[in-house]
Amino acid sequence: MKHVFWMAVFAALTAIVFGVSAKGTDRQRLKYGLKVVGEFLAIAFLLGWILYFIPFR
Amino acid sequence: MVANRIEKTRDIETPRRAWLVGLVAWAVPGAGHLLERRWLRAALLGGAVWIMFLMGLWLGGHLFTVTGKEEGFGVLLQLLPMVGNIGTGLLYIICWMANIGFAEKAQLVTYEYGNTFLLVAGLLNYLAMLDAFDIAAGRKP
Repeated sequence: MKHVFWMAVFAALTAIVFGVSAKGTDRQRLKYGLKVVGEFLAIAFLLGWILYFIPFR
Repeated sequence: MVANRIEKTRDIETPRRAWLVGLVAWAVPGAGHLLERRWLRAALLGGAVWIMFLMGLWLGGHLFTVTGKEEGFGVLLQLLPMVGNIGTGLLYIICWMANIGFAEKAQLVTYEYGNTFLLVAGLLNYLAMLDAFDIAAGRKP
């Protein structure tokens, strides 16, 4: 759970910078920031599940 | 059409102040936007970088530096992440002078998270620096 928490913190902070420095209206940038958070988390979970099934022995 | 745009952009002279703002933005995360009186941007960008950097140290991450003891291409393994770390400007320099955060604490569970936080804090500050520069140069509203 600790890992998921820190990953979410990382995604949120990165998305803030990406969203604020992006071009467009406030609404568009907010949407972009939220999209970045969602993508970070979704890809991390997806990769986590893929790696779960790969035996490294 | 794109070529025309590039030509137009080239014609715009960059004011000297923009370089100063860029330098300040690199040195102290968020300060460049403060100079431009963009309070909310300064709080969000600077806050994110500061929090990420301090969290990185708290999680046990370590800052990279070239010691001169590296052999061959081994120096690249230190140099490239060091360039990322240096993005945090004075935060990195102060840590370097005080020898804070350069010791490796690989036994900690959060060690890799700390490293990543420290690296990305620097890289994000480069992005924030460019944003402040663009605002000061009048290329961004």
